[in-house]
Amino acid sequence: MDIFSQLKKQAEQVEVLSLQNEKTTVEYEANQLKTCTVAETKGTAVRVIRKGRLGFAASSDDTAMDKLAANALESATFGDKALFSFPDPKPAPIVRTFDKAVADLPIARLVEIGREMLDLILPVEPDARCHISLERSLVSASIRNQKGMDVSFKTSPLSLGLEIDRIEGDDMLILEDQLGTTVWEKDYLAFTRRLMDKLKKAKFITSIKPGRMPVLFAPAGILALGLPLSRGLNGKEVYKGTSPMVGKIGEKLFDEKVTIIDDGTIDGKFASASYDDEGIPRRRNMLIEKGVLKSFIYDLKTAAQSGVESTGNASRQLFSPPEPSFTNFVIQPGQTPLKDILAGIDEGILVENLLGLGQGNIISGAFSNPLALAFKIERGEIIGRVKDVSIAGNVYELLKNVAAVSQEVQWVYNTFYAPYVLLPEMNVMTKTESPSN
Amino acid sequence: MRDRIQEALKHSKADYTEIRIEEKETTRVVFRGKELEVANANIDKGGIVRCLIRDKGWGVATFNNLDDLLNKADQAYQCAQVGSVPEPIELASVEPVENITTVEMKRDFRDISLAEKKALAERYNQVLLGHSDKIIDTQAAYADSFTHLILANSEGTYIEQEKPSVVIGAFAIARDGNNVQQAHESLSSTQGFEYVLDKDELARKAAQKAVELLDAEPVKAGQYPVVVDQTLAGVFIHEAFGHLSEADFVYENPKAREMMTMGRRFGKGLLNVYDDGSIPNLRGTTMYDDEGTPARRNWLIRDGELVGRLHSRQTAAKMGEKASGNARAVNYRFAPIVRMTNTAIDNGTTSFENMVKDIELGIYACDAYGGETLLENFSFSSGYAYMIRNGKIAEMVKDVILAGNLFTTLENIDAIGNDFKWLNTGGGCGKGNQYPLPVGMGAPHIRIQNVVIGGE
Repeated sequence: MDIFSQLKKQAEQVEVLSLQNEKTTVEYEANQLKTCTVAETKGTAVRVIRKGRLGFAASSDDTAMDKLAANALESATFGDKALFSFPDPKPAPIVRTFDKAVADLPIARLVEIGREMLDLILPVEPDARCHISLERSLVSASIRNQKGMDVSFKTSPLSLGLEIDRIEGDDMLILEDQLGTTVWEKDYLAFTRRLMDKLKKAKFITSIKPGRMPVLFAPAGILALGLPLSRGLNGKEVYKGTSPMVGKIGEKLFDEKVTIIDDGTIDGKFASASYDDEGIPRRRNMLIEKGVLKSFIYDLKTAAQSGVESTGNASRQLFSPPEPSFTNFVIQPGQTPLKDILAGIDEGILVENLLGLGQGNIISGAFSNPLALAFKIERGEIIGRVKDVSIAGNVYELLKNVAAVSQEVQWVYNTFYAPYVLLPEMNVMTKTESPSN
Repeated sequence: MRDRIQEALKHSKADYTEIRIEEKETTRVVFRGKELEVANANIDKGGIVRCLIRDKGWGVATFNNLDDLLNKADQAYQCAQVGSVPEPIELASVEPVENITTVEMKRDFRDISLAEKKALAERYNQVLLGHSDKIIDTQAAYADSFTHLILANSEGTYIEQEKPSVVIGAFAIARDGNNVQQAHESLSSTQGFEYVLDKDELARKAAQKAVELLDAEPVKAGQYPVVVDQTLAGVFIHEAFGHLSEADFVYENPKAREMMTMGRRFGKGLLNVYDDGSIPNLRGTTMYDDEGTPARRNWLIRDGELVGRLHSRQTAAKMGEKASGNARAVNYRFAPIVRMTNTAIDNGTTSFENMVKDIELGIYACDAYGGETLLENFSFSSGYAYMIRNGKIAEMVKDVILAGNLFTTLENIDAIGNDFKWLNTGGGCGKGNQYPLPVGMGAPHIRIQNVVIGGE
């Protein structure tokens, strides 16, 4: 008897998640193709509700199904009171997450893509050391529950990752970028060109005086502001009372240029799918509209605790129960062309990448980060890279006043879709002395 | 199992083949706020075959199904044929080892019921919640894992090891209006269940810190002399320096090699740093690494000079040095890479009082929230901190983030305490997708001049 039928006899409610993953990875280390890996993963995770209490267990050993069932039932003897039921099957939006063209990519083609990346980089940057990871997976998952839900999904994630380090004297620069998609992307080298462009601009080093000045965040840099917000918008933090946005739905918290959406239905993106990891249809959730707080994100459990509906944001790994988490974090682009934003800056900085993202007391909205890559803007022109610069502030204060949001928008870190955002004034710190060596 | 592993090793056509089989059972109990969030047990079992074709590259196959090791060895071999290295990959020689060890725990946590583990976490959660009505959220966690690991290679090594781990953590969030502060304490052991009993004090400390932080002012940005406590000093030496000692950072990069030249000055003469995986019962202790190299003490900085680095067999051969016992994998899903074990700043001679007494205006930074390093640049958050005024510890301050350049900062260490301590915290280290790898850190108090502290 399979574990689903077996547990149905022993518990009121049962949910079985089966996961299977086949992943092929080709890795270039310091410009050389050195390692190729084939990984096969298989596992089963079980949730049961027995005598009204929730239990969980998981195993990657398919010869240990009896122990898995016993572990799940034991877990339920201690579990908290389940305030929710596993859901009825519901129709879901059609979201593209599988592409035969990706699934069928042979190892030889992955090797060739890596070579094409190196051919773009090395002739221009002979001193660059490139670490390239090309990864193609085939994931199948299914969720069954006692209400008759039986959904399965298949995705074909392709991930091309590039890290370049360039050392010139005592100046060291490490930059990285990546492409993550589940459908074949025609211009798969665009992210490599984007990184090359940054490397080129970073060659000239200039300096800047500390003080208050306009700060323009590039799409990857805006994460310094996005990460604290993503924590604060999470229904779990709201239920626990730790989010600074608790009880503020309907209030205007930010500048009206700020609109933030969680969208799990965008074709081809890593965080997209027809269903979330509890079988609830994924959807587009308007969270902050023109500065006004509209909603938070929830899974079944946190929604039940908060007396609302799940927003389709359950996410899980094999060995842990679901949690509410962001799908694609979309910051809505604005009206202003980037070149006009730049033209309006007399003296300021452009923040491309930060160090130590997500570290510190980010739930409070506070951040303080050294800048991994930043440029000085003078009279509307990017004039050179600045080093040893850091910024600090609080998101909930800073986003009350936004000077401009660009038309231009970019996918960064696979699941963030963000424009350039100009803050009229914030504190920029620099190191006054230069390194002694 | 041993026979099947030997058969697959013999079957492999590669120049070198290694097989690791891992079986791990974990239990985890987490209370968050007033609720039990998790109380469960997981089973993880799988294996990896890694093989090397010298003039091509590495091939790796990982799997959960252990039925067909021969087929997995073939798969790994086919993968290795894809590589195209310009010069052959060599491995530093290591004496083959045959060793089967088992672990004795005083109170084996595998014999403790889930009910008792739950009661323990619940008790610490009560301590957190009961401390103050300003505590609005908590997390009290208990986790144990028992790993049985087999490592065998085509050179005749066969090692079976058992690795127990037990961790408790206490996390508190305090709130006063819009002011939200957090604090965290954890404790880990590679020994029995008894090590995590009677730790109410640890939970109390986390709650107390979170509440105290509510009244702390943000630190004023600037340059200060900073006295760093053992925890933050341990995290600092691991993150900011230790990662640069990992030979895979330098072995194929002439410029990085130049930067990490043996004999180069890395701080004043009072600074001594080592990594040592052979000290019993620390979090990063591993008697053999995941290539079968025995652990040992590796001095990295002696009297302020760079004297050593950490190696896998491949990086050691490439640099003409010896394998150091630092090839580690977080689990069977990964090939080993160069990692730290237990990394420490060696004990010094200055007392804490003497370190503080000459500071007119400075900061005493304690505990670490986390840190990140990008080559020579680092950034660390301290969990909490105090101002030092006229040689005395004064009011608490918050949001203290230390950022700077490694070389300048090491050079600016001008006092090393005589109060060395290993940190038995529960966290782990991340590198190249491999997280969390258990590592140990240790240090005495240290004093650093001219540290840039961020803030508004």
